[in-house]
Amino acid sequence: MLKLVRIEFTKLRRKKLLWLMLLSAFIMPFFAFLYFCYFGETGIEPVAFYKWSAFGFTMFIILPFVLGMLCTILMYNEQRFDMLKQLWIVPVSRLGYFFSKFFVVLIYSVCFMLITAIASVLFSVLPGYVVFEWDSIFFLLKKCLEIALFTAFAMLPVLAIAAVQKSYIMSVCVTLIYAFAGFFMTPINMYIHPLSCVSVIIARNGDIPGLTLPQTVHIPMALLCIFLWSFAATLFAMVILSRRK
Amino acid sequence: MQILLWAECQKLRRSNILMLNAFAIIFIAVIVLIGGKTTVNGVDFSESSGWYMATTLTWATMFVLPAMIALLGSYMICREDQDDTAKSLHLIPVSKAKLTAAKMIVTFVFSILIYLLLFITTFSAEAVLHFSGLSVKMVLRSLKMYLLEGAGVFLAVSPIIAIVPYMKKSYWLAMLLAEIYSFAGLFMSMSNTLKTFYPITAVFGVSGYYEASIQNRICSAGVLLLCACLAIILLIRLNSSQKGKIHDEETI
Repeated sequence: MLKLVRIEFTKLRRKKLLWLMLLSAFIMPFFAFLYFCYFGETGIEPVAFYKWSAFGFTMFIILPFVLGMLCTILMYNEQRFDMLKQLWIVPVSRLGYFFSKFFVVLIYSVCFMLITAIASVLFSVLPGYVVFEWDSIFFLLKKCLEIALFTAFAMLPVLAIAAVQKSYIMSVCVTLIYAFAGFFMTPINMYIHPLSCVSVIIARNGDIPGLTLPQTVHIPMALLCIFLWSFAATLFAMVILSRRK
Repeated sequence: MQILLWAECQKLRRSNILMLNAFAIIFIAVIVLIGGKTTVNGVDFSESSGWYMATTLTWATMFVLPAMIALLGSYMICREDQDDTAKSLHLIPVSKAKLTAAKMIVTFVFSILIYLLLFITTFSAEAVLHFSGLSVKMVLRSLKMYLLEGAGVFLAVSPIIAIVPYMKKSYWLAMLLAEIYSFAGLFMSMSNTLKTFYPITAVFGVSGYYEASIQNRICSAGVLLLCACLAIILLIRLNSSQKGKIHDEETI
């Protein structure tokens, strides 16, 4: 598996877009900076700043969108150049192929959220909006890693759709709708959509003040939801990939 | 030009992109309707007439539709290079400028149709939910807003579509740019000045979604026309640079 992951990264080395996509990790920290600059507030609670920069739209929209695009890019080129036949001949197992892509998504997600965390600290501490404290920085890092890990799993359905489609249009549309649905489903039911479940896990124990959740927080339920979606997505991808010659 | 437009429509008819977009539009409308069932302080938003049509328009414009329109435009432009049909088209010969213009016109019409479909979906839902609360004036105002949004969003994203041929098959980047561009509109609407001049929020001003003075509306319309001019300049430059390349090859 490690070899497959290494090969995936070697293939991606030529893609400049992936580096450009990482720049979008700066979007929300920058907007959070503008937001607090607009209201002219200083000495704000670190969590209040991080809620804007890392735990809000980054978690619901930006990261899922970027990961969805990554899933599509990872799958599309092999489908387009008809490389799958050769991979099956090598042989590479369907499961190994699918999970090697997933691990790339996971590592990319972690890098993305680490950049978000660093940018959040820079945009909050340097202008003096937030006082530098190791505790709050560790809290931010912990939450960012949690977001990265669970969002990567939550994106498995998009990866499965990308794996079974020869065109990129469908997976891109699904990514947009999937992220949009996660954002809108959260106030209705937090345990239906995997992205909503990520927000439940992040906001457990009232860690993020001001984040109102419509239902009581039930972590096993959220984990079960993510697991079920991931399992169904993997099964779906396996069935379709095994049928494909 | 008519033949080119006809050919573009024929190409699209064979692709499943239109069906996918139609499905996506209906799905967005359903998601917002479900989201509207949220009760905050005992108020069910979806119960007030007009709320659904207005909210769907805002969220769809902020999160999904600009990226979809940019995707369609860039897909249409890129596919000639991708499927290697560009060479055959040059041999006919088809003018690159006219071909790109035809693609842009089709994207413009598509943009308006996509908003029209969204309007039909939201209006149908409103009519089923609370028909008595709807007035002809309200419906016509919403229809005007939707159609203007369709035209305005196309103008706002047209520079992104026009950049795509420069980036050589980097439609992914166009898509990412369009999404960030529309998403940033959420924050730009916090300031009155930015709201008027930022293209995505300017569309809302022009369509009449929010109250704006005549001067602000003129400024917003000016910004959108500037976007269109920028797209035209980019496409003209592309055409002239390609002519230069062909000339160089002939000289060699």
